[in-house]
Amino acid sequence: MPPEQQQPEQQPKQRPEQHDTPHTGHGFGRVLVAVYGLLALAATGRSILQISEYFDRAPVSYVLSALAAVIYLVATIGLARGDRASVRLATVALSVELLGVLVVGTLSYVVPSAFPDKTVWSHFGSGYGYVPLVLPIVGLWWIHHTARAGGGTDGAAAARR
Amino acid sequence: MLQPLTVVLLVGSGVLALLAAHHLLRRRLVDDPVVITALVLEVALLVQLVVGLTKATAIADGAERATFIAYLFTVLLVPPATVVIAIKEKTQWAMGVVLGGAFVVAILVARLQQVWSLHAA
Repeated sequence: MPPEQQQPEQQPKQRPEQHDTPHTGHGFGRVLVAVYGLLALAATGRSILQISEYFDRAPVSYVLSALAAVIYLVATIGLARGDRASVRLATVALSVELLGVLVVGTLSYVVPSAFPDKTVWSHFGSGYGYVPLVLPIVGLWWIHHTARAGGGTDGAAAARR
Repeated sequence: MLQPLTVVLLVGSGVLALLAAHHLLRRRLVDDPVVITALVLEVALLVQLVVGLTKATAIADGAERATFIAYLFTVLLVPPATVVIAIKEKTQWAMGVVLGGAFVVAILVARLQQVWSLHAA
């Protein structure tokens, strides 16, 4: 990410500034956490409405919506906390999310009858500007990026936090 | 539901977005103009909440009315949340969050207007 590399001192040996310590919830991560939080809110709201108001219309879609909502919540909290266990949890959540959006997205085109009502994942999240498809990819890249920036100093970095 | 209010809200989120984009490019962190603009936007959203709640019965379909009310409350959370995140973040991503938040407010206000125009009697 270019903005974090704006500091004039670029010698590789230098100890990173405080805001340079790799943390999934800082820097660009704030944007991710904000977007994930919003998506978690939207998915939770939508699924509560669907399940309470008209569950019988399309149970599979609505259970999927609820599942997506939970996964977004876990991802949001995991990225925001940023310690090793949380990041691992977020990695799992994002992987499941990516898998879900790919599988449900494909199925919604191949067997549309299975999904009479929309979920966040149907048609690869087209109803949400494809954010549900792009976000897990960006999120996994970001986790990978911060883990690499941390290098072998994971324990030391964790101790500083 | 109330055309002038919607216009004010869209202009307000536009101003906040421009301010955030300006600060982002100038690598500035959150300052008084950003906070005050977000505050004004939040007050306008509160007015929208009150107006929306008093008029919500005009939407006959229960699910659509619930969606409408949910949007009214959700949009209220966005400006405070983005400003808090922006205050905590000390890199230029702070303004990235505010810019995104302003965009989301505009989308939600437009969605509210859409639900209203499609379903209000």
